[in-house]
Amino acid sequence: MLTSLHIEGDSLLHRLPVRVKLIALVALSIVLFLSGSLVLQAIAFVLAAGLYLSVGLPLKEAIARVGIVFLTIFFLAAVNLFLLPVGEVATLTLRLMALVLFAAAVTATTTISAFMDEITVLLTPFERLGWLRAADVSLALGLVLRFVPDIFARYEAIREAHRARGLPIRPLTIIGPLIILTLKDADTIAAAIDARGFRRQ
Amino acid sequence: MNTRDLVLIALFAAIVVVLGLIPPITLGFIPVPITAQSMGVMLAGCILGAKRGALAFLLFLLLVAIGLPVLSGGRGGLAVLAGPSGGFIIGWVVATFVTGLIAERAVREGQAETRQFIGFFLASVLGGIVVLYAIGMPWVSAVTGTPLLTVATGSLAFIPGDLLKAAIATLAARAVYAGYPLLPARA
Repeated sequence: MLTSLHIEGDSLLHRLPVRVKLIALVALSIVLFLSGSLVLQAIAFVLAAGLYLSVGLPLKEAIARVGIVFLTIFFLAAVNLFLLPVGEVATLTLRLMALVLFAAAVTATTTISAFMDEITVLLTPFERLGWLRAADVSLALGLVLRFVPDIFARYEAIREAHRARGLPIRPLTIIGPLIILTLKDADTIAAAIDARGFRRQ
Repeated sequence: MNTRDLVLIALFAAIVVVLGLIPPITLGFIPVPITAQSMGVMLAGCILGAKRGALAFLLFLLLVAIGLPVLSGGRGGLAVLAGPSGGFIIGWVVATFVTGLIAERAVREGQAETRQFIGFFLASVLGGIVVLYAIGMPWVSAVTGTPLLTVATGSLAFIPGDLLKAAIATLAARAVYAGYPLLPARA
């Protein structure tokens, strides 16, 4: 149900460590936002598009992944054409597309566990301050992945119950029961976690 | 943070993921279909309160960032955050916090039902609409270069739908509050 957007492969981006890719993404966005040069944005766009298309995604899937974001970008670009000089619109649009493509390339070439390792490192300073525990973040993430299929099954059961009674499927009559039924499990799950000593309290 | 709060946060993040999997609901009198996920901010704030609600959305944001297709329509990954509407998605965390902050103060046990409805509705509108747009619109403007005023004018088209969402979230939050109150137990 929740399959990661990561794709197997052996491209340059696949081999780079996550940290390098994330720093590159941040650096690229800073450089592109500070620079007003159309040529630079165009070069960045071509490079990002090349990188994204070389990570091994089938073309159809590659387009589908950035499709909605690009649609928004094009719509706003069309609006901008009435308000701003054409050159500026081109600069803004190319910059945004370059960033989106590079970000999509990073997502496609990084596994969830690699991201999680990096997040654990990033959380270390907060852990030292005693604000949170990195292990809790991983636990919470694991819980989400574990319970999404259950909650979806519960949604389908509630929908079936509506059908059986001939009721229309309305957000209100679905969301209330779905949330109450799900959150009522919290005590049992928390007790199970504590009983196993996962959080060492 | 106790284990129960941690579990509540994780479960609510999972609920928001599921709300994104539900097919959008079309209502007779509004042409744009309503995605249940966009009600998540109002629901999380009104049901879990400020801190736990915001943490649930922070966790959800983490899921998006690490490349899980958890946004409605199967979207996800860093590309969405880098796009024009990235501000709205990041703004969800702050919006949930404000919604929760208002709901915690406005709604108490033993109040008349109508007052609770008003409290949840105010919280949903101020947090889920006002705060969210206050973060999302300048972001769109900064990223795309479209003047803020134009973005604001365009965003007006979404306000009726958002008010309707606030109304549905109010009714749902009040139903949960009556059936399984979590809001008074502040984390």
